Amino acid sequence: MNPDPQDNFENRLRAALQPVEPSEGFADRVMTRIAADAVKRARMGASRWFVMALAASLVAAIVVGEQWQRRQEQAGIEARRQLLEALRVTREKLDLAYQVVNSEARSPSRDAGS
Amino acid sequence: MKTNWHRTIGLILIAAIAAFLPTNNAAAADALLRLPNFDALESKASKVVSISLDEKLLGIATRFLDPKNADDSAARAVISGLTGVYVRSYTFDEDFAYPTTAVDAVRKQLNAPGWQRLVEVRSRKEHANVDIFLLVDRDKANGLAIIASEPREFTIVNIVGSIDLEKLHRLEGQMGIPKLQLEQKESRK
Repeated sequence: MNPDPQDNFENRLRAALQPVEPSEGFADRVMTRIAADAVKRARMGASRWFVMALAASLVAAIVVGEQWQRRQEQAGIEARRQLLEALRVTREKLDLAYQVVNSEARSPSRDAGS
Repeated sequence: MKTNWHRTIGLILIAAIAAFLPTNNAAAADALLRLPNFDALESKASKVVSISLDEKLLGIATRFLDPKNADDSAARAVISGLTGVYVRSYTFDEDFAYPTTAVDAVRKQLNAPGWQRLVEVRSRKEHANVDIFLLVDRDKANGLAIIASEPREFTIVNIVGSIDLEKLHRLEGQMGIPKLQLEQKESRK
């Protein structure tokens, strides 16, 4: 007499679904793995933040560098303007001295008379 | 023995350099005048030019001078060797009597040894007074000071550093300014 195939299936299913005691240290292994996953996730998060911070720092450095360069350029242009202005005033005063000396040298009699 | 000899020469060289440096600094420091506060003039002036260019700013300005521009090239030639350019100039809309105390304070500094009056101009006609002083050290001009007063303008110029009078001379001629006879000492009162 052949066993009923349905019974056979049920037996196998029952056997498969039979509660099995976890092996020793299973819970510890699960907890360790959870902890490791958490660390990995934290590391990934940290590295993402690091990359973002690095990118932000680079952008900030470029912006600050450009501003510094622009300020240096403005300071240079202003220093040049001041230098030329200072030399202009100096020349003007040297010229004034020249003119007075020259005009008085040309008309000594008038000065002598006054 | 050889090492000791080298060390001695090194020490002598360091001592010589150390002895030389303060002399140069002292000369530069003497040429730098303590310009008084002209706040009282500023409030009454219609135009104020107040320029203080120390060595650092002169260096920055030099980098921005255009070598293709004649004025810039002339300026570059004049300022090489300078460590400071200071100008205070006040223009007034009407005749104005300047406070003499501030000017006297500057003049007093120019009585110090080394300063020589190159030109003293007193014009009764134009009411213009111009004094040009040079700080001379070992036949080298290390400073220039100009005090100019006109009825409506008052100016003090102080140039610090090694001044090449030839270059200044050339600058005068080059920039449309007649050449001043700097070689001749003028003294008119």
